Amino acid sequence: MSDTDTAKCKGNRQAQTVGSGTALPAEDGVEAALVGWLKQTLDKRVFDAVLVPVEVPAGDSFAYLLLRDPAILDNASPLPPVMPIQGGKVISRLTMRGNGNQQPEAARIAAVVRPCEARAAVELAKLQQAHLDNLYLITIDCPGVLPLSDYIEDPAAGAARFAQAAAQRDRSPMRPTCQMCNHFSMLPAPISDLHVATLCSDGTLSIVPGSPEGARVLEEMDMPVETSLDGWAAQVEAMEQAQTERRQQAHAELRQTVAGADRLLDVFSSCINCHNCQRVCPICYCRQCYFESDALKLPPENYMARAERKGALRFSPDTLLFHIGRALHMILSCVSCGACEDACPMDIPVGQVFSLLADRAQETLGYVAGERLDEALPLVTYEMEELGHVEQPYVAIYREQEVQDA
Amino acid sequence: MSEERSFEPKIIYFMCSWCGSGGSETAAAHHLQYPENVIPSRVNCTGALPAVHIVRPLIEGADGVVISGCHPGDCHYNDGNFRARRRVALVKSLLDTLGLESERVWFRYVAHGEGRRFVDTAAEFNDHIKKLGPNPLKTRSDT
Repeated sequence: MSDTDTAKCKGNRQAQTVGSGTALPAEDGVEAALVGWLKQTLDKRVFDAVLVPVEVPAGDSFAYLLLRDPAILDNASPLPPVMPIQGGKVISRLTMRGNGNQQPEAARIAAVVRPCEARAAVELAKLQQAHLDNLYLITIDCPGVLPLSDYIEDPAAGAARFAQAAAQRDRSPMRPTCQMCNHFSMLPAPISDLHVATLCSDGTLSIVPGSPEGARVLEEMDMPVETSLDGWAAQVEAMEQAQTERRQQAHAELRQTVAGADRLLDVFSSCINCHNCQRVCPICYCRQCYFESDALKLPPENYMARAERKGALRFSPDTLLFHIGRALHMILSCVSCGACEDACPMDIPVGQVFSLLADRAQETLGYVAGERLDEALPLVTYEMEELGHVEQPYVAIYREQEVQDA
Repeated sequence: MSEERSFEPKIIYFMCSWCGSGGSETAAAHHLQYPENVIPSRVNCTGALPAVHIVRPLIEGADGVVISGCHPGDCHYNDGNFRARRRVALVKSLLDTLGLESERVWFRYVAHGEGRRFVDTAAEFNDHIKKLGPNPLKTRSDT
């Protein structure tokens, strides 16, 4: 990786200046305070709609609602204990067919999402699967989420466990990918239009403008941006550093358990080919997945030949090809949200493996998924001079023959 | 040594329509030979070669994959070889991380006139894979 590549993937956070925000009292908790504020934005018509997770009527899960009636906001839960659907996917579904500009006055929508969901939305926008023009991304300091399977066993107990762990900043009950997450806070400008700073809040929460549009929202709400956030920024930086170390350590351990053909096949041996990981992945947007296409449905002769060559052939075949191939298709945009692992009925650590692959591959190509809107996707751009280690040098030993022939 | 002699690797040689295949034509014109276990496969441009097609043969029975396109600046489509280089870097990064021997994938430019270089690449890669030994994935039935 050249120096320019390294410079490209670093220096984003340093460049942004998060000086101050607007403090909101939060005696009844962060969620209640944020919901109250969102209600005001709807009442004042600053936003025409709010996209926010709301507990489902049955009380055992959460779903994003595109809310236009402020009354329904009472049930909203901006920081739910689980992530049943990745918000990036929701934003893509909402905005894929346009940016709302067709209306006389473009509708302004606030999307309250976790940082990984906002990053997925950014990647989807780059992949032409979402339009973020009239969408205000409101990110929240994220404590992680519980594994879906843990939560649905007893939703009430899960919610209590989540609240306690979040208050203590304890990530151990969270999903493995959340435990090693190092992008849990505000995203570099201009991605987080507004960010809700809850860490280091001591009874208040702060709304931080990240983009000019976000600042304008606070202006329209008559909310002066005057609370200093140095304490919060220092806290976030320290936590990010600790989490990055934790991530590297987790990845090093993970590599020991997956590296090599035998261990890799052991990890994926219990796969039941349900392709849930692909269905829930925000980045896997293809209408026709290659791995469900006719390219992998072959005539019996093919299977017979492969069985002969290998002695036997597991059915359904191409399990490893599905996982490695899917990785090749999406790891450069992978935001390590862990939705795939949540959806796996066999508890395969697919989210952890993909986060390892993603970090290494993105480092190779000098890219960080979801960090910048103006940076091209790594496979649609190139530099003339780069990646020399990939090219196989033409070695002189095979030239002797050439000399003799001549 | 005897093992090395008895092991005949299966090698897929992806070459682009313009320079890689041109190199093989030049080799043919000069009656240059390359190992018979190297299976040539023409793609229109190495930049159009999906990453999955590099990995798929490695899982299903090939011992190595070698990819040849035009030299930098010579691509028939201007920048296909640069794009291919990025994609090969992606594949190699993934294989490295998973401990799947990224040296089983080679990427080397071969120009239209470089028949000798084409033949050398095939022979050198063949020897290289013989030294590496059989691909552990190709005998696994549970892929």
